[in-house]
Amino acid sequence: MPFSSLLRPLFRPPTSNGLTRSLRSFSSTLPCYDKPLPPRRIIPETEIIENFLRGSGPGGQKINKTSSAVQLKHIPTGVVVKSQDTRSRTQNRKIARRLLGEKLDEMELGEMSRTGLKAKIKIKRKASSVKKSRRKYRALAEGKEGGEEEGEDGDRAEDSDLMRVDELKPGDPIVEGDGKKG
Amino acid sequence: MPRLAPQLLRHARKIDPLLPLLLRPCRDLVSAQNELRWLREHAIKTANNSEKRSRIAGWRTVLRQLVEERTTGKPLQYILGTEYFGDLEIVCYPGVLIPRQETAASVTHLVDLLRQAEDLPSELRVLDLCTGTGCIPLLFQHEFNKARHDKGRLRLLGVDISPIAVRLARYNHMRLSNMRDLQRQERQMFKPGRDNDKKKNIAKPRYSTLDGTEDIGAGDTTEFMSADVLMDPLSDRYEMDAPPFVAEMNFENQPPFWDILISNPPYISPSAFNRTTTHSVRVFEPKLALVPPPSPGKSDEEQGDSFYPRLLTIANQVEAKLVLFEVADLEQAIRVARMARDSDKWDGVEIWRDQPELESDSEDEELQEEFEVVGQGNGRSVLCWRGPATQWLGKPASTIFTRRTPKKVWLLGQELEES
Ligand SMILES: C[S@@+](CC[C@H](N)C(=O)[O-])C[C@H]1O[C@@H](n2cnc3c(N)ncnc32)[C@H](O)[C@@H]1O
Repeated sequence: MPFSSLLRPLFRPPTSNGLTRSLRSFSSTLPCYDKPLPPRRIIPETEIIENFLRGSGPGGQKINKTSSAVQLKHIPTGVVVKSQDTRSRTQNRKIARRLLGEKLDEMELGEMSRTGLKAKIKIKRKASSVKKSRRKYRALAEGKEGGEEEGEDGDRAEDSDLMRVDELKPGDPIVEGDGKKG
Repeated sequence: MPRLAPQLLRHARKIDPLLPLLLRPCRDLVSAQNELRWLREHAIKTANNSEKRSRIAGWRTVLRQLVEERTTGKPLQYILGTEYFGDLEIVCYPGVLIPRQETAASVTHLVDLLRQAEDLPSELRVLDLCTGTGCIPLLFQHEFNKARHDKGRLRLLGVDISPIAVRLARYNHMRLSNMRDLQRQERQMFKPGRDNDKKKNIAKPRYSTLDGTEDIGAGDTTEFMSADVLMDPLSDRYEMDAPPFVAEMNFENQPPFWDILISNPPYISPSAFNRTTTHSVRVFEPKLALVPPPSPGKSDEEQGDSFYPRLLTIANQVEAKLVLFEVADLEQAIRVARMARDSDKWDGVEIWRDQPELESDSEDEELQEEFEVVGQGNGRSVLCWRGPATQWLGKPASTIFTRRTPKKVWLLGQELEES
């Protein structure tokens, strides 16, 4: 069938590693068999205001949005978290809930959450080393003078973004480890 | 389209030289950054996976090409090849409408309501007219099976006039069931305390599993067929290769009766198409999916609404107990809800907004005099029910319309006075 051959590249026979990954991203509602989820703080849905940040204006067929951002506000504490890491809103909703749980834990534990703090520092280190190597790459790729300077500025802006994104990443091992201990 | 502010462009360029290009279709920095990240992930995957390309072009080259494609306004979903629809990742292809998140929200909410129903038929039949990628029946099935253990099986049928849509829908169905199978097999394989070699689960036929809980969805039937739902079965001329719906249902030996009818038909009027759709929709998505065909003597608005009377007729023919139609906005929702109510064939009609699962704002009260309006956001769909569906939804036994349009009440009063 000519059509299915057109589509075939989208469904590649994955490598063993890629397989698990693609399955996870396909649907995270199915239980994960190999890694039991760490016990997590469950925040009652009644304490949450959820906002999909879709903006005003028409929806439905008239516009084709790519925004999948989810923002949660915890009513009792006023804590707000946002997740827009993945293209899947379902996924972002889960990430946002986990983030909120972590934030609330941190707030409650305060000084106690030194392990959490340590993990945060690790993230920062990792992020900045990633940034450094990326900066190098870019300078090389652009191969122009002043690239460094331009990169510096931009990277700083992106740095904060990357920090946030790192916090949000579903598969981030450090965040997961964080969750296990908490 | 308003020009982008030069500072914004400069700021974007500092973050990433490709970002200003994405600002054009995205309009704001955050969306542009998100899209750039997703395109980059895709470029890296493409460069790593494709056999020939990887050696010729590194991911950076691929990324640049993707960004340039996106700059023309081509929807991101056509470039990346998929869109998320609820929990599901649906394959998209130019020529077939990209699924919208609002549609997923309505379908999910409907299934949420049905999951609490006690007395569903042992085979619940769901007909989706104008199915496109097949996203609606596929999500319906996924959501329905998520929490059900004792309820019966599903029979799902998606119908579309476009042969390419039907093929894509079948492909999506196949792809999702393959993934589900793999997932099931992996679970079996890594289940602690099982001797996998002895049981040979892998060699077993599809859906045959060792414990009942994983057998969910086993008896379901999901099919897609090509037919024209608008065509009057009595007229014999048809230009496209799709036959009329009723004839095709007979020909394909499909059951004559269906419990639930869902449809997200083309609902944009020609003038609204020109005025209110975004460039990317207008230029890149199929007009066949968006604007109903013209017919002599119909106003602009009537043309936009023209699928709904036909869908209501089909709902009666297949004796549907429950229908869910997507609409463009609250105005169209009210027109469609009135069509259903005035046909006197339904026990209840209500309007859903974009997020029907949320509490309605109290300011809706004025509107609520005529129809219940559920949830928050724009008017998005119309739900009609009758007979057993009243219990499925947990609605009070008689929601017979006490609500009437003010105009009718007035006419009624006048008639009474006159007599
Ligand atoms: C708005 S799209 C909806 C697609 C899908 N259900 C969704 O929600 O994404 C409308 C679909 O109706 C199909 N269509 C248009 N005219 C039709 C007709 N006369 N009979 C059947 N399908 C039709 C188009 O091909 C298109 O796939």
